Amino acid sequence: MTKDGVQGAAEETDQAQSKKGLKKQQKEAEKAAKKAEKQAKLAADQQTTDEDDFAKDRYGVSPMVQSSQRLDRVLVRVQELTLEKSDQLIWVRARIHTSRAKGKQCFLVLRQQQFNVQALVAVGERASKQMVKFAANINKESIVDVEAVVRKVEQKIESCSQQDVELHVERIFVISQAEPRLPLQLEDCVRPEGEGDEDGRATVNQDTRLDNRVIDLRTTTSQAIFRLQSGVCQLFRDTLMNKGFVEIQTPKIISAASEGGANVFTVSYFKTSAYLAQSPQLYKQMCICADFDKVFCVGPVFRAEDSNTHRHLTEFVGLDIELAFNYHYHEVIESITDTMVQIFKGLRDKFQTEIQTVGKQFPSEPFKFLEPTLRLEYQEGVAMLREAGVEMGDEEDLSTPNEKLLGRLVKEKYDTDFYVLDKYPLAVRPFYTMPDPTDNKYSNSYDMFMRGEEILSGAQRIHDAQLLTERAIHHNIDLEKIKAYIDSFRFGAPPHGGGGIGLERVCMLYLGLHNVRQTSMFPRDPKRLTP
Amino acid sequence: MALKELSSLEKALGLKKPNKYSTQGDKKVPVLQRSNGPALSGLVTIATYLVREANRAELLGESAEHRAIVQQWLEYRVTKVDGCQKEDIKTILKDLNTYLEDKVYLAGNQFTLADTLMYYGIHHIIVDLAVQEKEKYVNVTRWFDHVQHYPGIRNHLPPVVVLKNRVYTGSHH
Repeated sequence: MTKDGVQGAAEETDQAQSKKGLKKQQKEAEKAAKKAEKQAKLAADQQTTDEDDFAKDRYGVSPMVQSSQRLDRVLVRVQELTLEKSDQLIWVRARIHTSRAKGKQCFLVLRQQQFNVQALVAVGERASKQMVKFAANINKESIVDVEAVVRKVEQKIESCSQQDVELHVERIFVISQAEPRLPLQLEDCVRPEGEGDEDGRATVNQDTRLDNRVIDLRTTTSQAIFRLQSGVCQLFRDTLMNKGFVEIQTPKIISAASEGGANVFTVSYFKTSAYLAQSPQLYKQMCICADFDKVFCVGPVFRAEDSNTHRHLTEFVGLDIELAFNYHYHEVIESITDTMVQIFKGLRDKFQTEIQTVGKQFPSEPFKFLEPTLRLEYQEGVAMLREAGVEMGDEEDLSTPNEKLLGRLVKEKYDTDFYVLDKYPLAVRPFYTMPDPTDNKYSNSYDMFMRGEEILSGAQRIHDAQLLTERAIHHNIDLEKIKAYIDSFRFGAPPHGGGGIGLERVCMLYLGLHNVRQTSMFPRDPKRLTP
Repeated sequence: MALKELSSLEKALGLKKPNKYSTQGDKKVPVLQRSNGPALSGLVTIATYLVREANRAELLGESAEHRAIVQQWLEYRVTKVDGCQKEDIKTILKDLNTYLEDKVYLAGNQFTLADTLMYYGIHHIIVDLAVQEKEKYVNVTRWFDHVQHYPGIRNHLPPVVVLKNRVYTGSHH
C-alpha cells in the first residue's frame, strides 16, 4: 500500500469516528432528557401519591426500638397460624424470606425460625398502590411487624410450613432493615446436594457458609440441627439425673495433660504455663474419690490435634460420665449404653420433625439400635475384619477406614448402628486404664460406635495408687505434675469407670451427616478461629 | 511375572512336562524355545500354543464369534491391563464391571483362556481393593471369585476375600 492510501484510509476513519461521535452525543443528550423527564414525573408522582396515599399510616420504617414505649400488642408466632385462627386480625413479627410483586399484588413469605407463612399485600380498601410497592421493595431478611387477617386458602401452599392459611396484610412496618445484598442466599444453603445442578442453581460450599454462619444458622436445616442438639443435652441430663447422678463443673485450665502430652494447647499462666483440658478425666475421677459416686459433666474439651478431617474439631462439647461400680466394669458399660439408648429413643419420639427437616437436605437411613446394646470384644471385631480380608495385628489400633468397615459388617450382621467394642489392647489406651485380669495385653476398656464412627472412649480406671504410678512411669509421665491426681487414690478409692462422648459427633452420626462442622454452631478447627 | 503365570497355566491345563522360558528386552517378553521348531514369543502367543498342546482348543472359544471375543480379551489383557497406571485402574474396573453385568465368564457362559489370563493379570489390582470398592465393582468381584475357585486356576496367587453379602447398601457414606 502507498503512503497516500494509508493517509486516505486514516482520514476516512477520522470522519467516520466524528460522525459516530456526533450520533453518540445526540443519543446521550436524548437519554439525559428522558431521564430528567422521568425523574420529574417520579417526583410529581411522589408528590401526588404522597398527597393522595390514603394508606400512608399503614406502612413504613419504624423508628429504632429503643424501648421508648411498651405496646400492649400480642405478637402471634408463625407456628400458631393455623385454621383455628382464620378470620382473626393478628400481629406477627417475622423476617421477609422472599417477596414477589405482581402488578397490584405482592406476595411475601414471612419466616420465623423454621416456620413460614405466605402473606399477601393487595391494592384495595386497606392497602394503596404505594403500600404494595413499599412492601415489594423491603430487602430480604429484614424484620417486619405485620398486622393481617388470617384467611383460609383453597389450595394448600406447598412451599410453606403453614399450608392451610395465608395472611392478608393490613399494616406492615420494618423493624430492622437488612442490607440489600446478602453474602449468600438461604435457598442455596438448604438445597440438597446434586439437586438443581441441571438448572445451574448453586449450592453453597461449607466454608462460605461457615464464614457467614449467622445467616447459615437461619436455614431450616440448621435450626433443626441445633434444636436437636439441645435435645441431646437435655435428654443426657434428664436420664442421668433420674439415675441419681450429680452434675459437676471442672476447671478447663489444668497443670498436666491427661491423655498424653502431644495434643494439648499450652496457655501462658502468669509466670508459668498451663494446659487446656483435653477432658475432665482427672477431676471426675477425683470426685469419685470424694464420694460423689456418680457424676457427669457437660463442657468444652480441647484437642490440639492438627487433623483436618470431617470429624475432628479443636474445641468441642464433651459429655462426660464417671461412676463407681460394685464388682465388674460392665455395670458401667450398661449404665452408659442405657443412657445412650434413652437419648436415641427421646430423639426418635420428640424430635421427629427436626429429623425429617434435616433429612430433606441430607437424606439418611433412620438410626437403628438394639436393646440391650450389642457388645463385641475387640478380638471378635478383629476376627470379623480379617474375615473380610483386612490384615491387622492383634494389638494394633483400629484405623479409621477399618473402624468404618467394622461398623458396616456389624450393621450387616446385627442390624444396629450402635454397638460397644470391649477389651481394647492395653498398649493403645491411656495410662490410667485398668489392665485385663486374665491377659495383660488387653484392658478393661471400650469404645462406643455410631454408624461405624467412634463417639465414646471409656474404661475401668486404676483406683490403686501403686499400680497407677507404675503405669504412669511406663508411659513416661512426669509424676510430679500428676501428684495430686495419684494422691487422691491413697486414702481409699472405690472401683470406678466412665467415658466421654463428643456432643457434635453424636448429633452428626445420629442424623447421618458427613461433617462435624455441621453440628457445631461456631466450629473451631486448625484452620478456623472465626466467626 | 509372566513366567510364573505361564507355568501356572501349564498346571491348569494339565501339561505334565514344564517348559523352560526366557525373557526378552526391557519389558521382559516371555520366549519359549522349542526343540522342534521356531521360538515363540509373547504371552498370548505362548498361552494359545499351550492350550493347543494340551488339546484344550475349546478354551479358545467354540464358535467363530466366541473365538473372536476370546482374542479380543486376550488383547485387552496385554494392551490395557499390563503396565496400567493408577489412574487407568478405575476405567478398567468400570468397563469390566459393566461388561460382566450379564455374563458368567468373559466370553459368555463358557470358561475360556481369556478368563484365566485376565484373572492372572488383574489379580494385583483386586488384591489392593478395599471392601467398599469390591462392592462397587460387584460384577468384577463376582467373576473374579468364580475364577479363583475354578479348579486348578489359582496356583501361585494368594486368594482374595470376597464378601458374599453387601455391606454398603445404605445411602450413608
